[in-house]
Amino acid sequence: MARMSFILHRLLLLVPVAVGVTIIVFFMIHLIPGDPARTILGLHATPHAIAELHREWGLNRPLASQYWLFLDRLVHGDLGQSLYYQTPARELIFSRVPVTVWLIVYAAVLAIVISVPLAMLAASRKNGVRDQAVRAIPLVGLGMPQFLTGIVLIYLFALRLKLFPVGGYGSGLGGHLRSMFLPSLTVAIGLAPVIIRSLRASMLEVLGSDYVTTARSKGVHGSRLLIRHVLRNAVIPAVTVLGINIGFLVGTTLIVENVFAIPGIGQLMIQSIFARDFPVVQGVTLVFGVIVVLVNLLTDVAYTALDPRVRFGR
Amino acid sequence: MAHRTRPFRALAAAAAGTVIAVVAAACSSGTASPASSGGGGKPVRGGNLIIARTADSQSMNNTTVFDNESIWVFEQIFQPLYTVTPNGKGVMPWLATSYTLSPNKLTYTFTLRKGVKFSTGKPMTSADVKFSLDQARAASKGWGYIDTAIKSVADPTPSTVVINLKYPWAPLLADLSLFSNAIVPANYGGQSEAQFYTHPVGTGPFKWDYWTKGQALKLVRNPYYWEPGKPYLNSVTWTYVADDNTRQLQVKGGQAQVDEFPAWSTVSTLKSTSGVAMDLFPSTRTDYLAFNELRKPFNDVHVRRAISLAINRKALVQAVLFGNGTPANSLFPPQVPYYQQATPGLQYNLAAAKKEMAASSVPHGFSTIMLIQSGNSDQLTIAQILQSELKPLGINLTIQQLDPNTATTDFQTLHYDMTLSYWTMDIPDPDELVTFSVDPNAGSKSFFTAYNNPTVVKEARQAEQTLTTSARATLYNHIQDQIASDAFMSFLYYSPYAYATASTVHGFVVTPLGNYHLENVWLGK
Repeated sequence: MARMSFILHRLLLLVPVAVGVTIIVFFMIHLIPGDPARTILGLHATPHAIAELHREWGLNRPLASQYWLFLDRLVHGDLGQSLYYQTPARELIFSRVPVTVWLIVYAAVLAIVISVPLAMLAASRKNGVRDQAVRAIPLVGLGMPQFLTGIVLIYLFALRLKLFPVGGYGSGLGGHLRSMFLPSLTVAIGLAPVIIRSLRASMLEVLGSDYVTTARSKGVHGSRLLIRHVLRNAVIPAVTVLGINIGFLVGTTLIVENVFAIPGIGQLMIQSIFARDFPVVQGVTLVFGVIVVLVNLLTDVAYTALDPRVRFGR
Repeated sequence: MAHRTRPFRALAAAAAGTVIAVVAAACSSGTASPASSGGGGKPVRGGNLIIARTADSQSMNNTTVFDNESIWVFEQIFQPLYTVTPNGKGVMPWLATSYTLSPNKLTYTFTLRKGVKFSTGKPMTSADVKFSLDQARAASKGWGYIDTAIKSVADPTPSTVVINLKYPWAPLLADLSLFSNAIVPANYGGQSEAQFYTHPVGTGPFKWDYWTKGQALKLVRNPYYWEPGKPYLNSVTWTYVADDNTRQLQVKGGQAQVDEFPAWSTVSTLKSTSGVAMDLFPSTRTDYLAFNELRKPFNDVHVRRAISLAINRKALVQAVLFGNGTPANSLFPPQVPYYQQATPGLQYNLAAAKKEMAASSVPHGFSTIMLIQSGNSDQLTIAQILQSELKPLGINLTIQQLDPNTATTDFQTLHYDMTLSYWTMDIPDPDELVTFSVDPNAGSKSFFTAYNNPTVVKEARQAEQTLTTSARATLYNHIQDQIASDAFMSFLYYSPYAYATASTVHGFVVTPLGNYHLENVWLGK
């Protein structure tokens, strides 16, 4: 009951977030220089053609009137018409959201799969050789630009070993799993070092606590000690780190989407900003805002699942 | 804790060993030998050609859209009465087979090709042609201006179309070869215009399959196509792959067969890559440096000439195109009819540049801003080279990088000093380019430079209505000479269309206007 109430309360927060985001983005994108009509018309942008397109798109109306129209459509679930593609912006955006969600979730899973064993390995012998190696080597992934990591992975695993396709989203579950592995791994390689360090630090802290000493004295050692008694208590700070990074990822998957030719929302956002495709920019930003709020909510819910001492509303 | 570390040690060792083995296997290089080109052999039916391209299409509405990525796709669906010849300098019969011209040069009567059907199986008739041309003419925010000379279109018999002109019009056949004048079913086959263009129907070799925006667009073979035995391919798919490296890797890995516009820096490597053919098709692309004559001192012809003479175009070709291009001497590229090789477009001569500067209104130099698009490495390279080459003239050039949309808006509203632009021909006739470039009243403000030479404008108008080839040649030669002398823009270089194709691809040829006929393409083994 407390959990449901907490979740509902947080979901209601989406409304002021959405309104705030739409106001800021609407006026920002309309006030910066540039004209969507010139993207469509290119060198053939005569004053007459520009004026006609502005009339057709309602861009000749006052800004406040345009914003009111946008809000009116929004409450009916209509995000307007893409000025670039001349198709409903909602269709365009929602066809891309699953792609980016796939990328982020898959990357998070891979980041966890990489980080947890390595953090355990490092924490099991503090300042030992493997601890030093685990702390140092993943930093290469953190320091390397994502586009370079991506190209290297494509070259090795797609072109030379032919284990994965060179980019694309694939079709069907199996196709997506295969096509999205390398791009997700690219993102995970950037995420893992931060999670490893955070998890390692909390595990070392927990390893020094009294109940762990008690467990050792009772004969619990090695991986059993780490997994059953240490990990669950040490993971909460790492969950926070993961949640924050996933929030950042939502808007920054563009590079990976570009390198791997994935039709995600990051790519759509950049293309729409350059083209001044106002309805799509507004719609994408709204979706970003909602996703970030949902990710934060999931992170908070995860705390209570991991630690029964954490209660909703306290 | 020694016994507790054993599982971890084994795991770490196994993981390290696997990674080393995988990397070693992947890095072992095969033999690199020059690719065998895709020529020769008998066409084979079947296969899906995948073209990895730099941008997505925008719309399939051939009367209103201006982006090449849309045009090159719907040219496989729609066909015009005449089409561009392979060398890009003329037209040849396509959906029409011949025409007659009235003695007063105002009425063209076209005979339509027999046996042409739309992909629905419905025969094409003159009613479809009349409808299509009337729609194209009415596209006021699109390509309607190209048909300004047409007064009316009639369809007296199912196989005859009559076009009445307002005045004699030399570029008519070239205008009719433009994709905007391609033939669609009358009344859009009973649909609205918007509905029709979401799944368009034409007489071309391919018909609509699907378009997942931002991802892939696919056409499949038109079973009713009129050229016997063609197309050879079952289907063509255009995929959107923005990254240069990824497109190249896809062709090398077999995931795509055509890489559209590989980076210039990779051309020489691709030429020696096994299994890949690197083609540089002659194109009509010309790159220019534009001057805003509404701003001092660019209204001074000596300043413009001085800058033009100070530019080492060969160096630009090396630095930007990695040698894959030639210095430009004229507004016209060599693949355009009436291009004059002898046009004395100003070439690098620093002494002459200094003399021009000395004779100008700013003999000691000035400061100026060069506007370029951010993220465009070619434009940045050109700007940096010009920055250094104009210093001896006393010109301090500051490079201003703006996002592409803002840079375009500033260019087209003449809020700039100098900037870069380019042109590729839409029709095999210089009329559109000349009107766009020299006529301040044509809507483009003389290629957004505010250049105004009434003699040149008059000659351009005369050339439009002069049907005699030699007379047109004389007019266009003079136009080229004059605008080169006026240096309203600096003509920088001509560059080819670069395509890397898998060696299994045969018959892929790009005309100088950028379009390609995929009905001639086939995939070998």
